[in-house]
Amino acid sequence: MDDTSDQDRFAEVFLPHLVDAFRLARWLAGSRIDAEDIVQEASLRAFKAIRGYSGGDSRAWVLTIVRNTSYSWLSKNRPSAVVLTEDLDQGARDRIDRPAGAEEETPETVLIAKLEAQEIRKAVTALPIPFREVLVLREIHGLDYRAIAEVSAIPIGTVMSRLARARRLLLAAVSGGGS
Amino acid sequence: MSLSKEDELLVNAYLDGELGPLEANRFEQRLSSEPALVAEIEAYRLLRAALRSDLDEDVPSSDLSNRIQSRLNLSGPSRSRPWGALAASFLAGAVLAGTLTFGALHHQTGDEVASEVVSAHIRALMAPAPADVASSDHHTVKPWFNGKLAFAPVVPDLGSQGYPLLGGRIDVIGLEPAASLIYLRGKHIISVTEMPTNGASPSAETSYSERGYMALSWSSGGVSYFAVSDAAAEELESFVKLFRAAAVAGAASS
Repeated sequence: MDDTSDQDRFAEVFLPHLVDAFRLARWLAGSRIDAEDIVQEASLRAFKAIRGYSGGDSRAWVLTIVRNTSYSWLSKNRPSAVVLTEDLDQGARDRIDRPAGAEEETPETVLIAKLEAQEIRKAVTALPIPFREVLVLREIHGLDYRAIAEVSAIPIGTVMSRLARARRLLLAAVSGGGS
Repeated sequence: MSLSKEDELLVNAYLDGELGPLEANRFEQRLSSEPALVAEIEAYRLLRAALRSDLDEDVPSSDLSNRIQSRLNLSGPSRSRPWGALAASFLAGAVLAGTLTFGALHHQTGDEVASEVVSAHIRALMAPAPADVASSDHHTVKPWFNGKLAFAPVVPDLGSQGYPLLGGRIDVIGLEPAASLIYLRGKHIISVTEMPTNGASPSAETSYSERGYMALSWSSGGVSYFAVSDAAAEELESFVKLFRAAAVAGAASS
C-alpha cells in the first residue's frame, strides 16, 4: 500500500534530520561549504532510495546515506583523507600505547580543562576518519553503539574498540600538545 | 594512568550508558577505590563537553532546506513556492486527498491505543532484546504469561508458515498489562499485542500507520489484537490472515 507520495515520505523522513546530516558531513569533510554539497548530494540519493526505507530509525537511515555520500565525496575530492583501514602510523600508535601522563605530573583533566574547546575540536579533525566517524556519531549525534554499528556498517565490537581508541588518541593529542 | 584494554572498554561503555544495570552497578563500586578510572571518565566527559559546546553554531545555512526542496521539486514550508513546483504539489495534493478520505474512516478513538502499541514495538526493537521470554516454542511462551495478565492470550505457532516465534513480552498499554508476541518475517519483526477489549477498540480490521510502522487491529472474543511491523502492508495483511485463522483453530481445539 502506497498511501503517501515519495515527496511526502522524503519530507517526513529526510528533512527533519538536516542538521544531523550537516554535522556529520562537516565533521567528515571539514568545511561548511563541502558539507552542504554533500548533504545536497545525499538528499538526491535519499530521494531515489526513499521507497527502500522500510521504517525504523529514520535518523540512522539518513546518517547512513550521508556517511556513504561523504566517503564517496572524499575519495573523489580528497583521496588522501580516506583511510579506511585501522592502520595508524607508528607515531600515533606510540601515543596510544604509551600511558599518557606517565611522565607528566599534571593530571589530564587539569590540562583539558585549560584547553579551549576550539583546540579540542581541531584535534578531532586530525583523527583518522574511521575514528573520527564513530566519535562524532557518539558525541555529537548521541547515537548508541547499535545505531553507530548500523550507520558505519561495522560490528558493535569494532564500534567499541574504535571509540576507545578514538578517545585515547584524542586525549593523547590534546595532553601531548600541552607539554 | 594506564588501564587494561578491558577497563578501557568498560570506561567507554559506562560513559556511553551501554552497560547493563548490573554491570554498571558493579563498575560504579570499583570507582571509589580506583581513582585511575575516575580520572579517565572525567577526562572523557570534558572532551565530550568541549565537542558539544558549539552545537548551536554547527548548523547548515538557513536556505539549505529550501535548496534541497526546490531541486527535488518539493513544496517548501512557505506558501510562496516557485511556479515550477506547483504542478508537482497539485499532484501530491491529489494523492494526499485520497489518503485523507481513507484515513478519516479509520483514524478514530482507537488511534491513541494504536500509537501506544506502535511505541511499545519501537521500544522493544531498541531494547537489548525484543522479548522478555525468548523462545520459539509456543508451549513455553504461553504459560509464561500466566499470572501476569487477567486473560489468557492466544499464542499461535506459525513457524511452519514462515513466521517463526521469537518470544513474548509484557507491554503496558493505557496502564494495563498486555501480552505481546514477537514473530520474525525475513528481516522484519512483527509484534502482536493482545489486550482485553475496551470501548475504544474497533471490531472491524483497522489500519494505522505512523513513522513507517503499520498496525493492523481487530478484536475477537473480548480481546483486541494489534499486529505491528515495518514490513510492507501486504506482508502484514497476510500475516494477520494466518494469525487469525490459527487463533480460531487453536481456540476450537483447546
